[in-house]
Amino acid sequence: MPDTAIGAIAFVTLLTIVVGARGIRVARTPDDFMVAARQVPPGINAAAISGEYLSAASFLGIAGLIVSQGLGSLWYSVGYTAGYLVLLLLVAAPLRRFGAYTIPDFAAGRLGSTSLRRVATTLVLVIGWFYLLPQMKGAGITLQWVLGTPYWIGVVVLGVVVSGNIAMGGMKGITFVQCFQYWLKLCAIGIPALVLLVATGHEGARNLQPGRAPVFTRATVVQVPQTVEFTLSRPARVTVSGLVDQRSYRDQAVPLCACRHVAAAGTSLGFAAGAPAPTSVAMAAPGGVSWDSPFSTAGTDGAHPLASTYGVIIATFFGAIGLPHILVRFYTNPDGEAARRTTLIVVLLLSTFYLFPTVLAVLTRLHAPQLYMVGDSDDVILALPSLLLPGLPGQLLAALVAAGAFAAFLSTSSGLLVSVSGALSHDFLRGGVTSFRWCAIAAGAVATIASLLIGRFNLALLVGWAFAIAASSFCPLLVLGIWWRQLTKAGAAAGIVVGGGACLAAIVATMAGAATHGWSAVLLGQPALWSVPLAFGVMIVTSLFTQATVPGNVGQVMLRMHQPEALSRHDYRPLTVERGRRSPGR
Amino acid sequence: MPVQHDIPGPGDLRDDTTAGRVLIGSLMRAQLGLSLLCLMLALAVTVSFPLVAALVPAVGRTRVAGLPLTLIVLGFAFYPVFMAVGWFYHRQARQLEVRFTDLVDPPGRGGCDATGPHA
Repeated sequence: MPDTAIGAIAFVTLLTIVVGARGIRVARTPDDFMVAARQVPPGINAAAISGEYLSAASFLGIAGLIVSQGLGSLWYSVGYTAGYLVLLLLVAAPLRRFGAYTIPDFAAGRLGSTSLRRVATTLVLVIGWFYLLPQMKGAGITLQWVLGTPYWIGVVVLGVVVSGNIAMGGMKGITFVQCFQYWLKLCAIGIPALVLLVATGHEGARNLQPGRAPVFTRATVVQVPQTVEFTLSRPARVTVSGLVDQRSYRDQAVPLCACRHVAAAGTSLGFAAGAPAPTSVAMAAPGGVSWDSPFSTAGTDGAHPLASTYGVIIATFFGAIGLPHILVRFYTNPDGEAARRTTLIVVLLLSTFYLFPTVLAVLTRLHAPQLYMVGDSDDVILALPSLLLPGLPGQLLAALVAAGAFAAFLSTSSGLLVSVSGALSHDFLRGGVTSFRWCAIAAGAVATIASLLIGRFNLALLVGWAFAIAASSFCPLLVLGIWWRQLTKAGAAAGIVVGGGACLAAIVATMAGAATHGWSAVLLGQPALWSVPLAFGVMIVTSLFTQATVPGNVGQVMLRMHQPEALSRHDYRPLTVERGRRSPGR
Repeated sequence: MPVQHDIPGPGDLRDDTTAGRVLIGSLMRAQLGLSLLCLMLALAVTVSFPLVAALVPAVGRTRVAGLPLTLIVLGFAFYPVFMAVGWFYHRQARQLEVRFTDLVDPPGRGGCDATGPHA
């Protein structure tokens, strides 16, 4: 398997660099670097947006989370898709018409304040880096899985490829790359899902019984690559070769109780058909919540499932609006109407993609319960194909999955790095192409180093947290900035700082292990529940107290965002509207 | 010098006159109303499922054709709903803009944009 998979990953990486290099000749000015000259048709643009958006979390994280925590984790894929619907409804067209490149540009242009611009830029860096870390982790574990290299090698490879590519090509290249990446990712997850669905029978359906722990459908030998702690749901006789609970066995039938055990690296455990599948600590779900319950309990102990589910819904539904690397793509639409059409296509493309992680997760539960023994839930999808389909076909599918996963890290981290280095170079340095290039390299290096520190968190959970920060800061800024004349710079700054800061603090506390059960675990582990309303509240109340500072040009700005292009094309926006694009009437 | 017409037109919008402000304000209210309606629709459909399952635990354990209801609803059923809401919104928002354009700059009036969508 390593050879095919190395080949596939190298191919994807090379293709990304080659397709990106096409852009170098075109990208001459900072504008070209930043928004690809606004010449991208909706279909291509929608695929590029989706390609950039579908990250390690979508490709590896969600399926792993579903397998380990239960079907309630599907709220992440539902929410990641719904985020685009909310974006379509609330901001797509006005934001395109406003015509700024980045969220800090919007903040400064709408409210006329450089200090607010600095606040917004700082938050772009926080969200961008927070979102980059899981991508790097994904690359680390993928290469670890495929090649057996240490975790840091994958992280460094991704960091070097992405920062180098961006420093050379800018975003014109990246637009083509991202579009190609969407289709690559769809194939890399869709083909294995469909092939495995057809190749496996129905005999595992017992593992979908409500409230039932997974069992082996046929006699299975589980190899333990690294020392792992595991539990059994009920007592079983296991044929052990190796070291279990510090006792050495050689091919002996050992009765193991329904409690916690430790298997040393290199041990093999033989289970009979119908025996309970062992579950490693990393894959264990919180107690008391059955696998098929509709509640998301990731990041909490399962004590208040409804509240924690609503936390995920709020974070993901409203977080997509505030992601710094996504909005920049809307400026590549020719006009507001095209921005809406693009967003609608994005919802379709995402809906299609998210069908497949679900299929793979259910197949794992049904046919490969030995994967409950892996040390990291993000490994599940990488391991599945060769378990279900022995021989060359399984190896090829595994290589395809690894390549698709690598594509996911490449595309998302490219987009994020463009935003982070754009913000750095434009707002904290003098700007220009050279400064942008150096910032891309510096920002990539920082992310690479930081991601060596976050091992144990599931990718979907980490990305969900980045969404929570975006939902508690930029979402209220954009929504109120677009629809509410009375927003002031003091209100916007206060809302961003209080909402985003409180949310970040809660997440850092959770990562440090500050709260592990009850309400405190839910409120800190899913902070969007309270931090999003808090951010909106602070922004509105502070604005109402500082009405004297409402910008004088608010009428003009509102007009610019909401007036249809048919009326404005002869006024002050001569360059961007293309004739014939607008669909005639209804 | 602000342009004044008897009938408000594109000039009023451009020059931010009282009439212009009323006009663009009405469009914004209509657009926001439409957006919030669609948002409520999508939220009502999604948020109600875990709520119902919390109130009636049997819902979470229901099976349809051998598959858990949770899998069918969360894994597949919401996506067509999102598409339908998005499609409806896209059509209605475009129509609001076409109507607004016709109101402010009627095709026959020879205003600043004679090649409007209904010309």
